[in-house]
Amino acid sequence: MHAPATSTRIGQPVPRKEDLRLITGKGRYTDDMNLDGQAYAVMVRSPHAHALIRSIDSAEAQAVPGVLAVLTGFDFIEDKLNPIPNKTFSMHPAEMPLINFDGTPAFNVSDYPLPADKARFVGEAIAMVVAETIAAAKDGADRVVIDYEPLPCVTYTVDAASPDAVRVRDEHDNICIDAQVGDAEATAAAFRSAAHVARIKTWVPRVAGSPMEPRAAVGDFDAKTGRYTIYTCSGSTLRLRRDIAIVLNVPEPHVRLVIRDVGGNFGTRGAIFPEQPLVGWAARRVGRPVKWTSERSEALLSDYQGRDLAVEAELALDKDGTFLAIRGSNVGNLGSHTGNFSMVQKGVEIMSSIYRMPTAHFRARAVLSHTAPTRPYRSSGRPEVIFVMERLIDLAARESGLDRVELRRRNLILEAELPYKNPFGMVYDSGAYHKVMERTLELADWRGFAERKAEARKRGKYRGIGVANYVDTATGIPREKAELTVHANGSVDVVIGTVSNGQGHETSFAQLINEWLGVPIDKVRLITGDTDIVTVGGGTHSGRGMRLGSIVIWHASNKIIERGKQVVGLLLQKSPGEIAFSNGLFVAAVGGQSMTLSEVAGAVTSRTDLPPELRGPLMAECDETINDAGFPYGCHVSEVEIDPDLGNVEIIRHTTVDDVGRAVNPLIIHGQTHGGIAQGVGQALLEHCFYDASSGQLLSGSFMDYAMPRADVLPFFTTEISEVPSTTHPLGMRPAGEGGTTPALGVVINAIVDALSDFGVTHMEMPATPERIWRAIRGKPQRSRIVPDAVEQQISLT
Amino acid sequence: MHDFTYHHPNLLSDAAGLLGGKPEAKLLAGGMSLLPSLKLRLARYSDLVDLKAIADLQGIKRAGDAVVIGAMTRHAVVAASDVVKQAIPALAVLAGGIGDPLVRNRGTIGGSIANADPAADYPAGVLGLGATIITDRREIAGEDFFLGLFEVALEPGEIITAVRFPIPLRAGYAKLPHPASRFALVGVMVAKTRAGVRVAVTGAAATVFRLTQAEAALDADFSAAALDGIEVDAGEFSSDIHASAEYRAHAITVMAKRAIDAALR
Repeated sequence: MHAPATSTRIGQPVPRKEDLRLITGKGRYTDDMNLDGQAYAVMVRSPHAHALIRSIDSAEAQAVPGVLAVLTGFDFIEDKLNPIPNKTFSMHPAEMPLINFDGTPAFNVSDYPLPADKARFVGEAIAMVVAETIAAAKDGADRVVIDYEPLPCVTYTVDAASPDAVRVRDEHDNICIDAQVGDAEATAAAFRSAAHVARIKTWVPRVAGSPMEPRAAVGDFDAKTGRYTIYTCSGSTLRLRRDIAIVLNVPEPHVRLVIRDVGGNFGTRGAIFPEQPLVGWAARRVGRPVKWTSERSEALLSDYQGRDLAVEAELALDKDGTFLAIRGSNVGNLGSHTGNFSMVQKGVEIMSSIYRMPTAHFRARAVLSHTAPTRPYRSSGRPEVIFVMERLIDLAARESGLDRVELRRRNLILEAELPYKNPFGMVYDSGAYHKVMERTLELADWRGFAERKAEARKRGKYRGIGVANYVDTATGIPREKAELTVHANGSVDVVIGTVSNGQGHETSFAQLINEWLGVPIDKVRLITGDTDIVTVGGGTHSGRGMRLGSIVIWHASNKIIERGKQVVGLLLQKSPGEIAFSNGLFVAAVGGQSMTLSEVAGAVTSRTDLPPELRGPLMAECDETINDAGFPYGCHVSEVEIDPDLGNVEIIRHTTVDDVGRAVNPLIIHGQTHGGIAQGVGQALLEHCFYDASSGQLLSGSFMDYAMPRADVLPFFTTEISEVPSTTHPLGMRPAGEGGTTPALGVVINAIVDALSDFGVTHMEMPATPERIWRAIRGKPQRSRIVPDAVEQQISLT
Repeated sequence: MHDFTYHHPNLLSDAAGLLGGKPEAKLLAGGMSLLPSLKLRLARYSDLVDLKAIADLQGIKRAGDAVVIGAMTRHAVVAASDVVKQAIPALAVLAGGIGDPLVRNRGTIGGSIANADPAADYPAGVLGLGATIITDRREIAGEDFFLGLFEVALEPGEIITAVRFPIPLRAGYAKLPHPASRFALVGVMVAKTRAGVRVAVTGAAATVFRLTQAEAALDADFSAAALDGIEVDAGEFSSDIHASAEYRAHAITVMAKRAIDAALR
């Protein structure tokens, strides 16, 4: 752990100033928002995975006392509202583009927030009941009669990609994109010359983001001005406002979006969700504000879910263990909507991770299925492919007889080789990949493992250790803007387009201001999430909050200082070049007279003897489009113990070193890493959105069946931060937090497989439940009832 | 949650009276299963008769060769009870492993056994220790109490007042928790009594049951090794996304051995 903070500047582990407010119940989450005359909405959700909607009879529901309205997709279309727009690809210039191999455009269809034609997953909202109370709305919802004609469904990823699969959209087969990336010929040649080939066929199952705060939205409509106000929780402000305006069919200024505290996101609210425009529409229809708050079981059914990638991959090595090529096929499950193809875009472009890889070729497909829509979930696509790469290396070690650490050493990109362009065209900026791995091995006492293993065996336990390196690609919406205003009382307002979803921006962004303007962090007010104030900005996703926020705050701070020097120069009768600024004080180089930042802020608004261009509030803004990507990387080592009688896994140690370039607040970074590890371990051992293949029913619809990781299944972590400045960021920063998750899946499974190596086990599917491990030990098929049979099917490589 | 009328009588007789003639009335003990089912609108009752204010239903006492636990005694109270820890430590272990602290501070022994969840811990304790269920009308042997999935031998309006556990010579409880709910995927209570060894299994089937094949082996030799050759038939066992019947059958022998080890410690 860190020594306590000695200041509140950049690099200090400053305790989060928002924590007291949040943990004493004084947060302002969406459900805390209550408007005069507010009514409540409850969604009627489909019990079928796939069904025609023949008719909806709401007469009985309308008659329930307190029910104000029953709204359906038919009403929605009649009101000339629009379906939800999709942004299927990242168009970021640093990102690998994906195009259909036959040159046709990718299939993209916009879905209505309430469909009028078909239900396409269990839990899809089909009607909305608005009432005086939640209870009345639920009574009404029970009485909405929907005449469904159930149809066959497809839920599992590989099945959905089959040419004769049941279609989710009548007008197109389920394959929305079918791309080939890399160099097929060179890759095939490399494989022909390979001395060793490691192969894996696996499925990274679907998981639920499960943020603590359920999704919620409150809609208000001002009939006089025709303006909507939507209070909600999201990762973005302006993009969400644009999307809501599109759905409500009004110009953007007719929507005001307000986001206050947000209790987690992880991608579940990274994009517009149906209920956000629906509450606005309902408010207009009933003439009163309307609130909707998800319940937990509803969240498990209808939140955007994550992962769900089927992969078949091969790694070619020469006789010394040098990587020659990687090839394979990734199939990502989009669920029922063509929302976002990130899992096969980001989920292919770093398939080779931070290893030297001369050539590669992959097929990337994204498929529709009758399941809840998926979206980028913490570290979108990357944990999946890092899992595959790190598993392949361990399999290659076994295949070739080479040591798995040595194999990594031999192929990790050297510092001198950076910047390095990987075979998918991604350019890694900088880093000390070897040093970070060696440091992690040292912290985890890799050398002492054999002794610990022997000791465990005496107790009847099988101990295993695993190592995994990773890289993340951080892109996201490139444009961000900061507006800084210094007040005469010494406080600073920062208006910015990011939104804290729990990352502690109120503290870390204030540390930037403290560093650059010398203003105490409790005098910094971060203003976000209200589109009446915030005019530009991309939100918080893809490791862009601090990465882009820091740049625009820095530039705006410098503008404040420059203007301050001019003012002080004038007032002290010096040239601006003779004025220095540090720690909030402008000082004349000669004479030593000084003015504080707040005195300058007072002077420019009160003195009449300043020239017009220096008069007026001491404010500055910076609006920049930053097209550089960030590449955080690092290494995890995990050590587990397995009870062979039951297959139970205990994680004994988990050690990480994450390179964040430059740490603004190490305390916050460690906290995010801890949470990230828990999410990765959750997927490796416990979590699974389980859809029954024949009925399409979600069998993990509550926390009684969906197994979340808890504190008592995790050890105390050892997390360390490395700071090799990024060369694609003017301040050297890389994103943090996602690194906790990205390699965690692979490293935990590698450790488990290592523990089971004496039993001849070479691979474990996720989640590595006790039963699966018990089966693996006994040489039984791992799937039992837990994995769909289809996972055994062949994924075509061609 | 649908509307209901809430009662909280101070006397057992009043509680019985409030239930009388109301087919849609329900007793409320700790509410740890009942309240979620109401909130999820899976259940609907005209009246809820809360037993929390009835002093007679509280408390733990030693009565000769038995421990008597009032029906409304919370799991946390049983887990922390010196009387239980001294007389039947396995029962304190069982109670201390139910759910999480929130559940243990609200849930009651009477509520748990009346609900008869197939994966609840207490039924294994009742059957394994050979306890007797005391109601406001009669006494029911644990043997005869659990009839099936959420089904017990209580008559309409009959109220459990206490559970009487005979003190065994030795006993141990071992549980393989469900990864999400922390109910028992498999829970085994093994007790050595003057009348012989009793082995009760919860979590594996629709209702708690005795593992007679293990009892016979343990009567001859009360040690984990005595179960080495035992193969439990998975035939009627539960299979779900967390564990197959086959795995549950295997886990029964493992947990039974651990329960024996605990009993011998």
